[in-house]
Amino acid sequence: MESEIGKIHEDLKSGSISCKGLVTLKLKELEESPNNTANYLLAESALEQAERVDRKVQAGEEIGLLEGIPFGLKDVYLLQGSHASGSSAFLKGYIAPYTATAVQKLMEAGAIPVVKENCDSFGHGSSNENSAFGPVRNALNEDLVPGGSSGGSAVNVAKGYTVFSIGGDTGGSIRQPAGFNKVYGLKPTYGRISRYGLMAYASSTDCVGPISRSLEDIRILLNTMSGRDDHDQTTIASSPIPEGIFSEGFPEKGLKLGYYKSFIENEHLDPEISKNFLELIIRLKKQGLRVKQLDFFDTDVLVSTYYVLAMAETASNLARLDGMNYGERMTADTLKEGYALTRSVHFTEETKRRIVGGNQVLSHGHAEEIYLKARSLRSQVTGAFNRDFKEVDLIISPVSPGPPPKIGCSLDHPLEMYLSDAYTVGFSLGGLPTLTSPLGLETGIQITAPKNQEQTILKFAKYLQESFDGT
Amino acid sequence: MPLELLASIKGARSSEDVAELFSVILKAVPDDGGEDTQRPVMEQAVTVENLRNDEVRECPSAQKEIIRANFPEQKDGFLVVPKVIDD
Repeated sequence: MESEIGKIHEDLKSGSISCKGLVTLKLKELEESPNNTANYLLAESALEQAERVDRKVQAGEEIGLLEGIPFGLKDVYLLQGSHASGSSAFLKGYIAPYTATAVQKLMEAGAIPVVKENCDSFGHGSSNENSAFGPVRNALNEDLVPGGSSGGSAVNVAKGYTVFSIGGDTGGSIRQPAGFNKVYGLKPTYGRISRYGLMAYASSTDCVGPISRSLEDIRILLNTMSGRDDHDQTTIASSPIPEGIFSEGFPEKGLKLGYYKSFIENEHLDPEISKNFLELIIRLKKQGLRVKQLDFFDTDVLVSTYYVLAMAETASNLARLDGMNYGERMTADTLKEGYALTRSVHFTEETKRRIVGGNQVLSHGHAEEIYLKARSLRSQVTGAFNRDFKEVDLIISPVSPGPPPKIGCSLDHPLEMYLSDAYTVGFSLGGLPTLTSPLGLETGIQITAPKNQEQTILKFAKYLQESFDGT
Repeated sequence: MPLELLASIKGARSSEDVAELFSVILKAVPDDGGEDTQRPVMEQAVTVENLRNDEVRECPSAQKEIIRANFPEQKDGFLVVPKVIDD
């Protein structure tokens, strides 16, 4: 199985490229990029680490698989001593006091962070236009949005500015930009990778995940970052996915796929995406796979349930941002006015909309009829997944109802932007592992499995890749 | 309570787009898809057995220095905060 990490590792080991040369090239590409993907370049520390790797190679010492591999970090991750803005004006001058667990694990394996990547402010967006650093431009067409919120990360991988990037996915923020830029993006099972050091958006669905051009690299990165973490008590134990899974026979006998009728018979679904999805189903059936149509919740219920809960959680999580201990501070006549002024000036309109909405649903009178009902709907969604996975092994779906919109068309129409998350948010509510495979449909295919079955997802993605390569 | 106070954002006002989301929840009919969908699910919550020890952990000095440096206003070695006794 082709691995970009593996290829660069061999090149570094053989001395056919130097790590310093590689890192210098990536930094230059990022700096000169017209896609506006870089909030902060980590040039000094990256070059220092690269020189260390070169010295090891020259001394004939072994280097690890990830040693010297340049990667990008969505600017919602903390890396000690580096800027961490969440693409917000509020935290533009903030320096991270510690390093996120997932990033620490990658760095302990020798990978070199080279860039803090542009994203929607605090993860609030699906177009990467809600950023204090300006909009990111799609890797394939610069007039289009790259998707969000991990847009900068997906574009960097698609353009080859980073070998891989680490995105964050709360309601589709890895999967949708991965689809919009035609790369792989995995939202793992909730809790498989520690959230410690990731700026919290909606803690009950926030996930850390890799974006890459190679399935084998997704496997390597998932294994490196997974594991329980004392700093994040929602983390779970998991087994590493073995090397060589891609050469095993697949599909296994009796494998059953499912897809949701409400996703496909949907008035908002682009006719071309719908047509291509149904053709894919026919093709998979012809290849001998069993495919079952399943009933599920309407997409507007999924979107509303997700956003009500996410807004409530982000209102709580961002309550700490008042300019008192860190971030920008504005003073007024009274303490409370100072808080309100600071937050009104330094949050974007979209972030304010979500905080206000979250406070509304948590307030007396609304909590019972909206927030608690949304929690109950979430339970039902999760229960429906449990029911469906008794029938099928994997669920496939489009990533988005439509193609990427043009830059400038999303921020003034928030409801449309929320509805564009129709196919990703349900799997977030269920905490299920879901991969975007950039094949078949204009914005890719989502593959979802029961919890902790990322291995089956990766094997099916490989099967799809071979199937499309063969046509 | 006024939204400005609730959200601690000057000029905070409700959004018609967000109200649309609320109305979908208000109108949503509970699923009757069998016992799986009727059971309460709390999978994203921390269980009591999974809590870490309730103990104070010393913050490394490098971390403390950065936390101090991030403070928005400092004067003569002191961290400056707004006057709090005002209402």
